[in-house]
Amino acid sequence: MAVRDNIQSALSGYAGNSQGRIRRLLLWSLLPVSIAALTKVGYQYLLNLPLLPGLEADNLGSRIAAGLVLDLQHPGWFDMLAVGLAHMGPVLMVALLTGGVWERLIAEKRQKPFEPGFVLIALLFTLLLPGATPLSHVVLGMSFAILVGKGIFGGEGKTFLSPALLGIAFVQVSFPGASAQHPLWEGLAGYSGSEAIALYHRGGEAALAAADIDLWSAFIGSTPGAMGTTSVLAVMLGAALLLVTRIISWRLLLAQVLGVVVAATLFNLLGAEAGASDISASWHLLLGSFAFAAVYLACDPVASASTNPGRWIQGLIIGALVVLIRVVNPRHPDAVIPVLLLASILAPLIDHAVVAVNIRQRGRRGV
Amino acid sequence: MGNKMKMEQQPASDATGESALGESRQVSRVALLGRDFRGVSFEMLCQQGDAVKAGDALMRDVRRPQIRFTAPVAGRVVKVERGARRRLLSLQIEVDTTRGSTSYTPPLTSDKASLRGFMLDSGAWTTLRTRPFGNIPDPDGEPAGIFVTAIDSDPQAPGPAPIIDIFSDEFRAGVDALAGISDAPLYVCHASGNAPEVSESAGLSCVPFAQGISSGLPGVHINALCPIGFAGGEVWHIGYQDVISLGHLMLGGRAWMERVITIGGDAVRRPRSLRVPPGAAISELLADELHDGAVRFLSGSVVRGLVASGGEAYLGSGHRQISALSETGSNASNKQQTSPGVMIPGDQLESLAPPGIYPVPMMRALQVGDVDRARDLGALELIEEDLALLSHACLSQCDYGQLLRNVLDQLEQVR
Repeated sequence: MAVRDNIQSALSGYAGNSQGRIRRLLLWSLLPVSIAALTKVGYQYLLNLPLLPGLEADNLGSRIAAGLVLDLQHPGWFDMLAVGLAHMGPVLMVALLTGGVWERLIAEKRQKPFEPGFVLIALLFTLLLPGATPLSHVVLGMSFAILVGKGIFGGEGKTFLSPALLGIAFVQVSFPGASAQHPLWEGLAGYSGSEAIALYHRGGEAALAAADIDLWSAFIGSTPGAMGTTSVLAVMLGAALLLVTRIISWRLLLAQVLGVVVAATLFNLLGAEAGASDISASWHLLLGSFAFAAVYLACDPVASASTNPGRWIQGLIIGALVVLIRVVNPRHPDAVIPVLLLASILAPLIDHAVVAVNIRQRGRRGV
Repeated sequence: MGNKMKMEQQPASDATGESALGESRQVSRVALLGRDFRGVSFEMLCQQGDAVKAGDALMRDVRRPQIRFTAPVAGRVVKVERGARRRLLSLQIEVDTTRGSTSYTPPLTSDKASLRGFMLDSGAWTTLRTRPFGNIPDPDGEPAGIFVTAIDSDPQAPGPAPIIDIFSDEFRAGVDALAGISDAPLYVCHASGNAPEVSESAGLSCVPFAQGISSGLPGVHINALCPIGFAGGEVWHIGYQDVISLGHLMLGGRAWMERVITIGGDAVRRPRSLRVPPGAAISELLADELHDGAVRFLSGSVVRGLVASGGEAYLGSGHRQISALSETGSNASNKQQTSPGVMIPGDQLESLAPPGIYPVPMMRALQVGDVDRARDLGALELIEEDLALLSHACLSQCDYGQLLRNVLDQLEQVR
């Protein structure tokens, strides 16, 4: 204790990090996001319940929800939370169970300590899914995340992609047509995130307004979309905690936002032949899964550039690419997940270039 | 951090005269430590049991016999302790002040050769260090610059400014001597607002550095003013108290027989400054100063200090602090293990890294022992103390100082 205390007081807290602390803080930062997700799922479900007869028996989550809600005519906040829990709970449970089983197997086969990091991965993965995801998809995605995203590289801290990102990319690619009549699928093209952007492609601002999406609802998160990604407000609360405790890099986060703003403004000013070049920067920031993914997936230190100039460059690339793909490619209305995959793979290359410049400077100015 | 430094320095600058330096403490045993003089093969010039005066030559370097190591105090050589592979741990002297001291005649002319000869004979040369590698410079080497470190950023370190104020004549004489040993520029690096008085001369400049978490490291000053590249050049640096000692030699022919240090750490009851002989025995100094319980001593600050135990439990050359940390259960996990664990490459590492160095690529190169890569990334600019903060902050528990030293040893062989 003493050495740590002495050093900690000397370094004003820099040395107090441990993997456990990082994990705990990330979980705490996901608390507002999770609460927002539960509320949003419940709200969406209860909103559509009267419109879709037979919904009560649509899937496991809905059957549980039907048993929980007493007063469907005047649902309160607790009803929303309960319904949200009924939908998100099974998904999260299955994700945790799948992750835990694989972790346990890996730990035993490779004779390493059991890593509790799968809890965080399972929660992130769950928050990126729609509320009515079939549980088989959860099992497959989570298995891919743990095995390919983490296990084969040797565990936590040794990967080069965020495992949750890999898991969601896997279900996106594997089940592109997955969606049903269930209201919690509404607004999601397959798993690829935001129909809101697709709406914009079809009808511009008017189409968004017709779907009851305005800047405020997009900010607080009552819009359709994946469970955890719609509430930019909750994501900002979580991000604030992570920035204050220096778990994530403010440079990388700011660079991503700047990238979006600059690219969107350029498109707005220059216009383009095809696509929705007139989406404003604020819509880009609020719609889809950009905010959530920028904080929780892109800023994973293991999967991002590891030099400060590299972080700026990577962030700008992410922001600009998200806007570019959203604007010119209507088939990828959200674009965030593929862009992050690409950016994570680019990170070592970016670092390599930054370091090469550093080495050349050292040779030039040194004695 | 900044506040702490100020708090520490406030009483010192308010006080007048000698009291700023703290009370004087005598010990019965002092030692020269082998680890303070890297790369030196010692040849004994004295026997166990010999009586020596302060300033008498005790040892010299086998490969560079002009480099002599002199007794910091008068007394009797009681023990030459050796460790693994007969490496010298310490040469211990039992203090006996009645034996007097050897005086060296300061050179009448201030030409390069006679100044260097004087420093070599009197043992003052051994307080100079090179960068890269941190060795004692060659007697006929030519640096690209000489750095006087008159700033200290380690937590609870003694403030250099009041000490230099009190010994301003000696400090000035020491700086003048250093200006004479080479044609290279001489930089006196000090905390901004605390410029020491030095004589005007060509090639001599005082450079202020803003107080920061590692602003007191010579590596930081060297990187800013005369960075080490790949051309094979070197710079020399020396601490302010060693400059004061050199000034004593220049003015009176005898070295300064004291050093101003602070004692601190959570096991010390009353952290404060003391004046002690160079190389003083730590257990003796702190005998009545500690809380109960098991204690670990460091020569240096809690951040960068070296473990001082067994035959090495003495104040190291150039060190300005002694830290005593209470040993509790969780302290058992020390930083000695070097097998790489998991490193989280977060951006707080960047703020703890030496300037101009990208920490994560450097740490990875050191972990895998990639000598060429580490050299490209700037390993030649660094010594162990520059990476101490990274070792503390990294979750992998690697001792990057030790890993760096392995790399530097290999680089030194091919150079």
